[in-house]
Amino acid sequence: MSSPYILLKDLTLAYGDMVAVPKLNFSCDKGELIALLGPSGCGKTTTMRSIAGLLAPQSGQIYIDGKDVTNVPANKREIGLMFQSYALFPHLSGFENVAFGLRIKKLPEAEIVEKTNKGLDTVGLLHLANRKPSEMSGGQQQRLALARSMVMEPKVLLLDEPLSNLDARLRLEMRAELQRVQRETGITMIFVTHDQSEALALADRIVLMKDGLIEQIGTPDELYNKPTSVFAADFLGFENIFEVSNNVIIGDAGKMSLDFKSESGHLAWRPSGVKIGQGKYKAVVKSVAFAGERREYVLDAEIGVIMADVSAQKKSYKIGESLAFDLPKSEAHFIEQAS
Amino acid sequence: MFQNRKEGFALALPAALFIGILFLLPVGILLSEAFQLDGGWSLQGYIDFISKPLNQTVFLRTLKLGFLVAAVSAVIGYASAFCIVNLDPKSRGRIFGMVVLPLMISPVARTYAWIVILGRTGIVNDAIIGLGLSDTPIRILFTETAVFLGLLQLFLPLMIISLVSSMENLPRDAISAARVLGANWLQVFTKIILPLTKEGLVMGGTLVFTGSLTAYITPAILGGAKVLMLETLLYQKVSVSNDYVSASIIATILIAMCFGTNLLLKRIATARE
Amino acid sequence: MTEKWTSRLILGLTLIFLIGPFLIIIIAGLSAGQSLAFPPDGISLKWYLKVFEIESFRDSFILSMALAIFGTLIALALGVPAAYALNRYEIPYAETIKTIVAAPIIVPGIIVGLALLRYLVLPIGLTVTLALFFAHTALVLPYAVRVVSSSMTNLRSDMEEAAVLLGCTRLSAFFKVVLPNIKGGVLAAFILGFVTSFNQVPVSLFLSGPGVRTLPIDMLAYMEITYDPSVAALSALLAFLSVGIVFLAEKFLGFSRYV
Ligand SMILES: Nc1ncnc2c1ncn2[C@@H]1O[C@H](COP(=O)(O)OP(=O)(O)O)[C@@H](O)[C@H]1O
Ligand SMILES: [Mg+2]
Repeated sequence: MSSPYILLKDLTLAYGDMVAVPKLNFSCDKGELIALLGPSGCGKTTTMRSIAGLLAPQSGQIYIDGKDVTNVPANKREIGLMFQSYALFPHLSGFENVAFGLRIKKLPEAEIVEKTNKGLDTVGLLHLANRKPSEMSGGQQQRLALARSMVMEPKVLLLDEPLSNLDARLRLEMRAELQRVQRETGITMIFVTHDQSEALALADRIVLMKDGLIEQIGTPDELYNKPTSVFAADFLGFENIFEVSNNVIIGDAGKMSLDFKSESGHLAWRPSGVKIGQGKYKAVVKSVAFAGERREYVLDAEIGVIMADVSAQKKSYKIGESLAFDLPKSEAHFIEQAS
Repeated sequence: MFQNRKEGFALALPAALFIGILFLLPVGILLSEAFQLDGGWSLQGYIDFISKPLNQTVFLRTLKLGFLVAAVSAVIGYASAFCIVNLDPKSRGRIFGMVVLPLMISPVARTYAWIVILGRTGIVNDAIIGLGLSDTPIRILFTETAVFLGLLQLFLPLMIISLVSSMENLPRDAISAARVLGANWLQVFTKIILPLTKEGLVMGGTLVFTGSLTAYITPAILGGAKVLMLETLLYQKVSVSNDYVSASIIATILIAMCFGTNLLLKRIATARE
Repeated sequence: MTEKWTSRLILGLTLIFLIGPFLIIIIAGLSAGQSLAFPPDGISLKWYLKVFEIESFRDSFILSMALAIFGTLIALALGVPAAYALNRYEIPYAETIKTIVAAPIIVPGIIVGLALLRYLVLPIGLTVTLALFFAHTALVLPYAVRVVSSSMTNLRSDMEEAAVLLGCTRLSAFFKVVLPNIKGGVLAAFILGFVTSFNQVPVSLFLSGPGVRTLPIDMLAYMEITYDPSVAALSALLAFLSVGIVFLAEKFLGFSRYV
């Protein structure tokens, strides 16, 4: 068995006395595309910065390609980092931005020109080589930052919220771009996001973080369908999560008996898993929103609030109307975690 | 923020050491000297100093001129600053530039001009005699009036700059709204402009007041030995009578007044109504 | 409409008060007569030319220039790293350092001159020139730190980190990435420091010795002997010099946004 390409061992990261990430353990293989997913402030950027060498860990080790790089300074680690703000050099042209690292390496001029042009071409910016970053659009700036990191042929490319500063259409475009670059170069990539759909769409594996700790690691499929904790389920779109004990659902507002057998723990349903119009439970429509193909209901039930979304083709209900609904066994996801 | 505290400290240290050793240390020793008499710590020097009528006169005159210059520059400053912020952007930049310009010119040159204006054969005396108000030239140079005018011209730009920058944040609509609601200009000023530009006034006031207290050239050229202020008195003590103890005492008083003003006015500016 | 005219009147009078005196000395310096007067007795350039013949003015001009240039350069050499550190690093005693570095603005200059004379020049035997140089450098340093700091705050620190990840050391990142982006601020700090130092009087008052006098001090001394129009002419020339420098700086740098 080969050793992992990146290995974080008991990594503890702190700002002064405040520990942001306690004892992180993680590994990945060469060529993997990993998503670091989690709510804002959970330590994603902190983790990235320490992998890049910009933040010295309080304790623990970082191995890359089998070597302990914990004490290797950032400028010798050969790791690329694309900053959330892009961090382009405003006084340099697009070409010189990309050539920057190659010049530091003191490569021969011909090689610098060749690699830089190739890098610019890969991201489709060759025609803007002479422009300053301030004369480029947000998407172009981002691709420039990507090219600047990629021409260095880093061992790992880290991307901090690469898509969050872009508008919706550009975000889809860049998503495809990142995937293409990764596939063509086979580079190991770790990208940070707080958007679950982005992580699900792009990553080979997702690392879900909460308060500096890893909550769950798995493929998009595993995380989406089999979240192992209430937090993971909630983060991945199971909006109806209830504690279950002795076949009784215990909600914020009250209890309801289940019509199927379940172990004690938690049960979760996506809004799309909730059936409306028939079933043994009763609720009142608190609000309804029309979202094109679907209608999104907020229901006031005995156990508390239920989020449901159903095809817009089906019969619609008004605010204040009573209706019957069901939490079917087939759609239920069981989480072993107790409260 | 970079984490390497030692590296950052090392970068900032030379500047701090330079000022600490070559500037603050000598000044500190000088100030401490004013508290020493016959080898022990004592306030006797101050008591002796204050008990001399000449020193009292100079001290009070310095305070008085400082207040007057600050007050008059505040009045002129408000009027000018209000006019400046209401100009169109282009002329605004030009006028503002002309206000700032004198600050870049040698104070010696700025003060010297007043000799030409206020001297025995100066413009003002020419006018007075020309208009038949007096037969002989009257003395303006080497009076408090001359020093006042010189200081006002020297420091007025600082007040205008402070007020202009604090008025830039003044919501234009608030003034119109108050006018529509029937407030007269005095009410608009006291109820809206003054509270909203208090910080600028305090900042400008501090600069003008402490600047006037510690100005040397203006009282030296326009006041001479007749209208001594603390700075010129200090110079005299050293260069005429070699009285270093008095010089240290004056220095301490000046620094105390500057720091006191800074603290007091800062407190006023941040006080909540 | 009356409001507009009131406004013009107020600004007009204020500007006459602030700038009028300069026009008067420029003209007074053009006098053909022997004494300072306005309007002058006839027009000639003789006083403007005489300024250049007065040897002590020449010497003191050179001293003032040297102090202003080298003092400001050293102040920048000390101030730029300090400004950088205060902006970019979490450093121990940051507030204390800031207070120390800002101190020369608050301490009256005359006291500084006296203190340096008494405790550095007289007992240790430091030359007056060197003491002047220290005093002027210290005086300019706070401005250097402030102006450079303000031009650095808009610059995000991840730019330097990006440079480091591309292979730079922190030092070379500073020169390759930070300095090119704050050079306007550094130049503005230089000009402000130069003008401040060149025009400085109180600090230099006690720091003069045989043959060592800054230009403003020399002018004061000259005025004690005679009120001939040469000082008016020199004042006018200096005013032109400062205004010219500031005008160019404004035109090419947008100087006023740094001050
Ligand atoms: N420079 C810093 N100094 C102190 N605390 C910080 C610093 N940067 C981040 N933190 C704290 O560390 C935690 C993790 O932050 P971060 O890694 O930026 O989160 P994320 O990128 O997941 O949003 C947060 O609680 C944040 O407040
Ligand atoms: Mg982050």
